[in-house]
Amino acid sequence: MSENKAKKGITGKQILIIVIALVVIAGAIWGILALTGKKEEVSGMLMQEGVLNVGMEIGYPPFEEFAEDGTTPIGYDVDFAKALGEKMGLEINFVNTAWDGIFLGIGENYDVVISAVTITEERKETMLFSDPYINNYQAVVVAADYDGEITGFLDLDGMVIAVQKETTSDILMSDYKDTATIDITISANEKIATCFTQLKNGEVDAVVVDSTVAVVYAASNPDAYKVAFEDESEPEQFGIAIGLTNTALQTAINEAIAKLTVEGFFTENTAFWFGAE
Amino acid sequence: MNFLKRIIDVRGWKRASKTAAIVIMAAVALLAALSWVNVSEEEMLQSASEEMQEIIRQEEASSRKYVTVTYNSFGFIKYLSFSTSGAKAVKETYIAFAGQVYPADTGFLKFIGQMVNYTYRMLGSGQNILHGVKLTILLTTLSMVIGSILSIFLALGKISKNKFISKISSAYVFFFRGTPLLIQLFVIYFSVPVIFGFSWRGLFAIGDTEAVYKGAFLAALIAFSLNAAAYCAEIVRAAIQSIDKGQGEAAKALGMTYGQTMRHIIIPQSIRRMIPPLCNEFVMMIKDVSLVFAISLMDITTISKTIMTSEGNYLVFFPALVIYLIITAIFTFLFGKIEKRLSVYE
Repeated sequence: MSENKAKKGITGKQILIIVIALVVIAGAIWGILALTGKKEEVSGMLMQEGVLNVGMEIGYPPFEEFAEDGTTPIGYDVDFAKALGEKMGLEINFVNTAWDGIFLGIGENYDVVISAVTITEERKETMLFSDPYINNYQAVVVAADYDGEITGFLDLDGMVIAVQKETTSDILMSDYKDTATIDITISANEKIATCFTQLKNGEVDAVVVDSTVAVVYAASNPDAYKVAFEDESEPEQFGIAIGLTNTALQTAINEAIAKLTVEGFFTENTAFWFGAE
Repeated sequence: MNFLKRIIDVRGWKRASKTAAIVIMAAVALLAALSWVNVSEEEMLQSASEEMQEIIRQEEASSRKYVTVTYNSFGFIKYLSFSTSGAKAVKETYIAFAGQVYPADTGFLKFIGQMVNYTYRMLGSGQNILHGVKLTILLTTLSMVIGSILSIFLALGKISKNKFISKISSAYVFFFRGTPLLIQLFVIYFSVPVIFGFSWRGLFAIGDTEAVYKGAFLAALIAFSLNAAAYCAEIVRAAIQSIDKGQGEAAKALGMTYGQTMRHIIIPQSIRRMIPPLCNEFVMMIKDVSLVFAISLMDITTISKTIMTSEGNYLVFFPALVIYLIITAIFTFLFGKIEKRLSVYE
């Protein structure tokens, strides 16, 4: 009996030693990770000398999407980023990121986010914005055979609305709903394409989305969608999101945007991606 | 050696294996022959229309690139497309099969072309190991290997007579089985770096353009391994405890220590009983790995979602299903073989 107990004791100790060893190894790994992590922080405005790392949710046509080869990013923002890189004398590296948590990656995974980001007061508290590079409105898209009339967001009362999660459309519609201004049901999706398919399949009555995107979807699928309303009273502006303390980079980017404006880049880029106004 | 002999001894094979071998060899030979006669990339590129060639020539002079040339080759069937971007998009697609080039802009051929293109992209062909099927298989296999090794310690810890170790192991299993895998992935990818003051990307060379994806891969590997360890620990524990108590007592009577008993008597026997549930866990893991879409790794699921967003084509999910089924079938077959070999001793 006493021998048994002794054996149990040894067993316990052995396992304890293994556990302690594992904890020590894990601790050492964390330590090394923490150290290397700090070492990599490059002083100055860019993470990497001569390269602007651009975070982008590549899946929001026509602003950013993958071409058919599955590797080349194309879109309005892609062309804009390339032109910006040319003006600033920097190489551009696109980092494809999920939209959820995209702003957490600024300064960690990339220097800036150029991904159809709307400038809002709320976002300004946690990040810097460049000067706006395109104007945008909130738009309501309905099925092509919808015969009602929508002259404002108040007309959406009683409808089921699809929006892309955590976008300004989502924020706007949630505001209307939370303040009980109108009674709507919101279907918040991860991808904008899902919203449009829901509309096509009759799951929802309308999609609220950036007007730039709405126009392109309606133009390429005239049998399925039409733009019912654009809220021109409240223009929104897209800007480049920059780390909160990185004012040097903000200044440099704004200078480049000013030059591009003078050269007429934006007029040309808008005409190319959205058709002549 | 015996195994090799059995393979060489064709006459001793079962009838079904013979038929299967002949069918596979015939299929490979047919595909090789079709690839042999198929047109080359250069020839295919020349099939572009005058209009498209004019656009490409113009583009060479300008600094902006609008035309994307996509060339997907499986040898026996090839897909080529020229697509311009912008409001006035122009697109031309071609399929090469058996030495002929067919325009594939409409109808059935368009469908075939799309399927070739989607499959090619989901397989991650022509891209590094962090894409498509390769990523799925790599992540599943590594997570399961690391997870099963960890799980043995966890299982032994859980049945340990030492209260402290047993409580810690139970708490670990409880935590990882009681929270969603997606949130575990988010915590490891987003929260852990903030708490410990490092970045996943920073672990790799700053000049490496793939560093972000490598960092995300590492985070995913850690999350999936830790999660798999918790599930496997229960499988291992059940298998160990299913071995008759008399065996452990007999070993003790022979003067073996606890470690010797485990290493030589209990674990070798219980491994046989672990294989079927571990196979099940592995197959589950293949599909769980699709959660990496949330941290922007390009696995089969993310790629099909990307295609769906940019082309709005929901047919893309069918090749994805087929690819998943094939992977699962291969691994189920392999595990079946292992199970059969081990059950010889039962």
